[in-house]
Amino acid sequence: MRNILFAVAILLAGLGISSPYHFQLLTFIGIHTLLALGLNMLMGYAGQISLGHAAFYGIGAYTTAILTAHFNWSPWLALPAALFLAVLIAFLVALPMLKLSGYYLGMGTLGFGMITYVLIREWSGFTGGDSGLVGIPPLEIGPVSLSSGRACFYVVWGTVVLGFIVCERLVNSRVGRALRAIHDSEQAACAMGINTAQLKISVFMLSAFLAALAGFLYAHLVSFISPNTFDFLTSIRIVTMVVIGGMASIWGSLLGATLITLLPEWLHIFSDYEMVVYGLVLMVIMIFLPQGLTRGLLDIYERSKRRAGVPSTTAKG
Amino acid sequence: MSDRNAELGSLPPLLRVESVSKAFGGIQALHEVSFEVAPGTIHAVIGPNGAGKTTLFNIITGAYPPDEGGVVYAQQEVRGRKVHELVSLGIARTFQNVELFGNMSVLENVLVGQHVRTRCGFLGAIVRGPWVRREERQMREYSMELLEFVGLDGVADHRSSDLPFGWQRFLEIARALATRPHLLLLDEPASGLNAVETHRLGELLEEIRKRGVTLVLVEHDMSLTMGISDRILVLHQGKKLAEGTPREIQANEAVISAYLGKE
Ligand SMILES: Nc1ncnc2c1ncn2[C@@H]1O[C@H](COP(=O)(O)OP(=O)(O)OP(=O)(O)O)[C@@H](O)[C@H]1O
Ligand SMILES: [Mg+2]
Repeated sequence: MRNILFAVAILLAGLGISSPYHFQLLTFIGIHTLLALGLNMLMGYAGQISLGHAAFYGIGAYTTAILTAHFNWSPWLALPAALFLAVLIAFLVALPMLKLSGYYLGMGTLGFGMITYVLIREWSGFTGGDSGLVGIPPLEIGPVSLSSGRACFYVVWGTVVLGFIVCERLVNSRVGRALRAIHDSEQAACAMGINTAQLKISVFMLSAFLAALAGFLYAHLVSFISPNTFDFLTSIRIVTMVVIGGMASIWGSLLGATLITLLPEWLHIFSDYEMVVYGLVLMVIMIFLPQGLTRGLLDIYERSKRRAGVPSTTAKG
Repeated sequence: MSDRNAELGSLPPLLRVESVSKAFGGIQALHEVSFEVAPGTIHAVIGPNGAGKTTLFNIITGAYPPDEGGVVYAQQEVRGRKVHELVSLGIARTFQNVELFGNMSVLENVLVGQHVRTRCGFLGAIVRGPWVRREERQMREYSMELLEFVGLDGVADHRSSDLPFGWQRFLEIARALATRPHLLLLDEPASGLNAVETHRLGELLEEIRKRGVTLVLVEHDMSLTMGISDRILVLHQGKKLAEGTPREIQANEAVISAYLGKE
């Protein structure tokens, strides 16, 4: 129901907006929402962190860019290739790390993100190195080219709606409950027969899938990509989106992505201190609203509303 | 109770712990402990603090491998099996310190308990076809039955961490039952319960046994333990001090002196 309203809102927004600047801004918010959504599934529901998520974003973007710009593949053929590659790499990265508990994934993905970034820069024969990769064709459906601001907007936000539906269904399923269970008590989750290592690897692959999908859309919508879009700062930005919006909150991903996309636009002084600002934001949120803005505010509201419904101390029976 | 012992004595044991040893650093938590649990019985494990009771549970459920010895469950050697594999073979447990999924509702906790008995994966959840919806409906119905069984159906939608402590213990039992176990290990299920709740727990354990589940419980509450157990294993400093019926244990010199010497 909420998703239908959301879809209608997007439809109307697309019709009402005319400024190319607004379309572009909203399109980036949509792409960031996909990134945050994927990481949120990993951080919020599986309780694992990825500090190198920009790498999967980059793998999605560069795979499709190389296949379409250098090898003249159709984007629609490059899409499954890009997604498959990202998911496969995620599997290989996660396999050794998720078997161990704790923060190995965080450390490992940090290194993985940096290696990917360096590879993209240095492998200039294919990627164009620092000067970037140009000439990525726009997406086409039959004869219609999806290159206008409005078309890009609809493609991205249509994908976001799909992503929301998929993630919402997952969260409210046997798999999603198992994920939340791992987050609450890994020991008890094991004792319920959940194969925690396998499940964590699967979610990591899902989050890489969504990041690569975002990268695919990004590459075809802007037609030019360069390594800086996929650097460590971007990984931190995605983490910040998740934390601000609220972990384990699908709609929080939208809020976090919106804020983190808009803030630098509004506050230009930001640019030099972006890292510092994100660091501060992360600290403040972690200390005062560890559930993120969405959940944190909801919780405060609920706590003030309730108080009467708490059961007394003897079991009935 | 002794007639049931005689009657069940002929069946092969559901669980056989064979000379299990486990050390943590310099501490010998368990030393060559052996015992058998006949199917359909209630077996208690008692002993002073640090005797190795919880460690024994962790080894039976596969959380730790034993240093030496083996565990035979339903005629299979299960040493080295993963925890989740043992759950699907029918071994379930509760925790001494209550390990609920605190951010999830009471109902959801029990739903998670059915994880190994259900199938829906990533694709199933996304497509949500008819069989997935049917499975989900059946899971909910069974969960509500179990909640009713332990008396928590009225608070199914509450966050589990909001429940009073005693209720959390009952919820943990319902959640363990949701895995459809043959063998249920309960680590101090009465600790933190008031007298009324402890009495209710005793009745509940009897009912669970009647449903065909074999129970092993670690318990300090002697009136509960003596009242419902068929056999009792006494551990002391990692070693088996005695084993027998409640009457035998109450009369056992070594047990009496170990407990009296402790106090
Ligand atoms: N994971 C572990 N690491 C190190 N030492 C441990 C570990 N688990 C148990 N021990 C030690 O092994 C010994 C037995 O502990 P265990 O928890 O099995 O005792 P228990 O009989 O359950 O005691 P209690 O009645 O206090 O629960 C103790 O000395 C304990 O400190
Ligand atoms: Mg213990």
